[in-house]
Amino acid sequence: MKVVVFSTCIVDLFFPNVGAAMVEVLERFGCDTVMPKKQICCGQPTFNSGYVVASQKTMRNEVDSLLSIDCDYIVGPSGSCVNMLHEFRMHLADDPEYSKKAEILANKSYEFTQFLYRVLHIIDAGAELDAKATFHRSCHMTRLLGERTAPFVLLDHVKGLQMMPLPHIENCCGFGGMFSVKEPEISKLMVNEKVDDVVSTGADILIGADQACLMNIGGRFSRRQLPIKIMHVAEVLNSNVDMSRVRYADTPAAV
Amino acid sequence: MGISTTTTPFLTRVKESEKDKFMQQAVAKAQDAQWDKREASRKELGHWQDWRKLGEQIRQHVIHYLPDYLEEFADNVEKRGGHVFFAQKDTDAVEYITKLAKEKQVQRVVKSKSMVTTEINLDKELLKIPGMKLMETDLAEFILQSDNWDEPTHIVFPTLHKNRDQIQKVFEKLGYDGDNDPTHMARFAREYLRRYFLQADMGITGCNFAIADSGLINLVTNEGNADLTMAIPKTQVVVMGMERLVPSLKEAEVLDNMLARSAVGQKLTSYCSFSGEQVTGESDGPEDLHVIILDNGRSKALGTPFESILQCIRCGACLNVCPVYRHIGGHGYGSIYPGPLGAVLSPILGGYDQFGDLPFASSLCGACTETCPVRIPLHRLLIKHREVMMDKLKMDKPTTREIMKTVGLGTGTPNLFQMALEFDHMATRMFVSKKPTTVQNLYNHEGHITWAPSIAKGWTDVRDAPRPPKHTENFRRWFQNFEESKEAVRHGK
Amino acid sequence: MASDNREEFLNNIAEKAGRPRHQLAEHPFIPLNDLPETTLADKTPAALFDLAKQNSQSIHVTFQTADTAGLADLLNQDIQEKEAKSLLLPTDDRLAEYGLTNWMAGVTPSPTYWEPTGGREENIQRAQNADVAVGCVDFLCAESGTITVATTPGQGRSFHFLPTHYIALVPKSRIVPRSRQAMDWYDEEIKAGRLHTSNINFITGPSNSGDIEMVLVVGVHGPIDMSYIVITDQ
Repeated sequence: MKVVVFSTCIVDLFFPNVGAAMVEVLERFGCDTVMPKKQICCGQPTFNSGYVVASQKTMRNEVDSLLSIDCDYIVGPSGSCVNMLHEFRMHLADDPEYSKKAEILANKSYEFTQFLYRVLHIIDAGAELDAKATFHRSCHMTRLLGERTAPFVLLDHVKGLQMMPLPHIENCCGFGGMFSVKEPEISKLMVNEKVDDVVSTGADILIGADQACLMNIGGRFSRRQLPIKIMHVAEVLNSNVDMSRVRYADTPAAV
Repeated sequence: MGISTTTTPFLTRVKESEKDKFMQQAVAKAQDAQWDKREASRKELGHWQDWRKLGEQIRQHVIHYLPDYLEEFADNVEKRGGHVFFAQKDTDAVEYITKLAKEKQVQRVVKSKSMVTTEINLDKELLKIPGMKLMETDLAEFILQSDNWDEPTHIVFPTLHKNRDQIQKVFEKLGYDGDNDPTHMARFAREYLRRYFLQADMGITGCNFAIADSGLINLVTNEGNADLTMAIPKTQVVVMGMERLVPSLKEAEVLDNMLARSAVGQKLTSYCSFSGEQVTGESDGPEDLHVIILDNGRSKALGTPFESILQCIRCGACLNVCPVYRHIGGHGYGSIYPGPLGAVLSPILGGYDQFGDLPFASSLCGACTETCPVRIPLHRLLIKHREVMMDKLKMDKPTTREIMKTVGLGTGTPNLFQMALEFDHMATRMFVSKKPTTVQNLYNHEGHITWAPSIAKGWTDVRDAPRPPKHTENFRRWFQNFEESKEAVRHGK
Repeated sequence: MASDNREEFLNNIAEKAGRPRHQLAEHPFIPLNDLPETTLADKTPAALFDLAKQNSQSIHVTFQTADTAGLADLLNQDIQEKEAKSLLLPTDDRLAEYGLTNWMAGVTPSPTYWEPTGGREENIQRAQNADVAVGCVDFLCAESGTITVATTPGQGRSFHFLPTHYIALVPKSRIVPRSRQAMDWYDEEIKAGRLHTSNINFITGPSNSGDIEMVLVVGVHGPIDMSYIVITDQ
């Protein structure tokens, strides 16, 4: 099957390791990945800040570029950005041409772990990582996209990986896009508690499915001079893979 | 007090809240405890998402046909012998009530907790009447009143910011000589307030729901103080926001069930009462009932994208899940309506000049939207407020506006973005920190950034930033190489 | 003080909303699901009794049972336990139906009554002075342990709030699944003109507060404790 890679601006700008890991995992499971070059960003930085007018071009560019290659699915390494693709249906509803395109886009778009679990029905991606880790659940992926199972199932099956439950997993890390820049005072209080919670688990690795949250939490770890390793879930699922370990489930649990 | 609780600027309030470690711990503890109770009670009920849809439907229907329901309700109150006054503004309501109190020569008022009477600053106006004694009878409100009218911090738990020792000190001024045991202090308040109840000649309550088809007022309390307020004084005044209606007792029953679970994780609040003016033959209850229906800016939400905020049933669940409220507490918002609900409602009632900061004080995590029992899309309404302020009213600084326009342009124009990807590694060289980092696998491209200029400074004020990779090492280039090697393998076959 | 500004107020709302008035007759409220009615509706009377017991106890209510023959003894025992020096009873035919006529005549302390013609101050004072009140309630809701009662001339509002200890009598046949079934009954009775009342109370356990450090305190303004006696043969 042909899969368009929705790279997200943050991966394009900062984190080639995340994009590469995702592509390698997808290819391993038989996806023929392609990448539309004109894609940039889902538009959340401006849209969520109230600059809805300034977001119009960004959203339309993203729709057009992601649909520019005929494919079966569109997959991205961020629950938040993929959710925004879904929300284009709402935000472009007044534009007859783009609301139709937005519908097509939404129906094809999946967050990376969601795609592995719900489309490919993978529960064990064959990875192995000998470490103690905890998972930060991103708000948009959980509450807006509604995916609260896939990353946990996949991580639970990684050989050698000990997953520690994160206290206050339901609380936001204080990223919130432009919020982190515009309201640093409040954001700091939030990310501080998140760092403390991660530390309390004794985990060596903090895993997430939204690199922006990890950039925030990891950034605060660095500022506070506390040790942690940051890994996107794609990097974890791309570690020491043995295909003989791969397992599929016929019926994934309800969202 | 009015809607605004302070003249201190938002950022100062946030910094004050940051210093108040007791408050932060108390709020966090309350949130964590409420989280478990609330979710357990909803789970036990079953089909919670369908209940929410029903709750939303009831409230939407009422707001949609609001004038009709208000008319029906007012007719039915009057049929039962009560009086209804429609108050456009806070001052209209206060004027009506003070006039009534003077006419009836009221000297002893008991009140049960009501946000809307705080909104119209009723207590202080009534206390201007010579000889007037007024007592807030909800335990928390009584504590706040006794502590020189301290500000509430939560719409359901107004004294969350006070510990037992502070409360003991407040009570000592009233003659309490016991220890700091909450039960002992509550018993003292019981005896103290009971005397006031028995002497009261006017009772003032808010209204949880007004029942349109019967003219009854639905009030819920755990302490029973609203019931005493409605039973003992001969005159009762009910002050209600104009949106607090339900079609019939049946819908009140539905919402009371959802309210208790959402507010405190109980199946029902201890006392849910549905009452009106005394009926012939009954000995207690109000012989004279006045219902004041207040607009005070609520109608500004009608017919706008913000209309759904009028669905709110004041359960406080959105405060109890909000990570921003968790850290800045109720005082941080500077409004008697704090938390996500307050951040949406306060700018509507009080304007953007005063409350324009609040919609930005959210990470848009959506916890409020998810928990709201009547499905108000709270975080979306916050974005809507931002849109009104930025796109329509252009309230931002010109420099910020230019930067955000550039961001819009950069994220909407492929060539510009390509250029950024070419030069960002080089451009950030001067900001690279010499200090080693403790974090692995986040700063893989020759360093990290601990100080950045302009709006990026907000980021580096709190946390380190990654440095972008060289353009030869970014994801686009990696994928290009990957595609080429894939192509080569394909051709090799 | 008539509501002479009503029309202006309502017209303003209609105008701001951009919707005409007087549409409700054609668009009555029709609930989109029947969860309020169907939740717990499949429970047998025995299961409802068990639920009622469990949920009453979880809200700090002393849950007791007696048949009409044993009711007087149980009440005497309860009143003694509270060391009551004053007892308040309603003027209510149900006490006789529960076989308490003789008990009322002989109980110690000798009861005072909430009297239909007793006067406002007098009745309130009786309730204020009562160590124990024994009330007749209309329903017990199994789901929440809620008792429901409509104010009558013989059993006023303060009857249920001012006394220090409160005992509610409820027939086993009046245990309903949820507050919904009780509410349906009141709604019907009021609309049919059979029930003339100014007040309906849904009471779920003794009064309480978490206002001091979120520590639960039982007994704030209302009774400090509460017992339900389910009359098993009624």
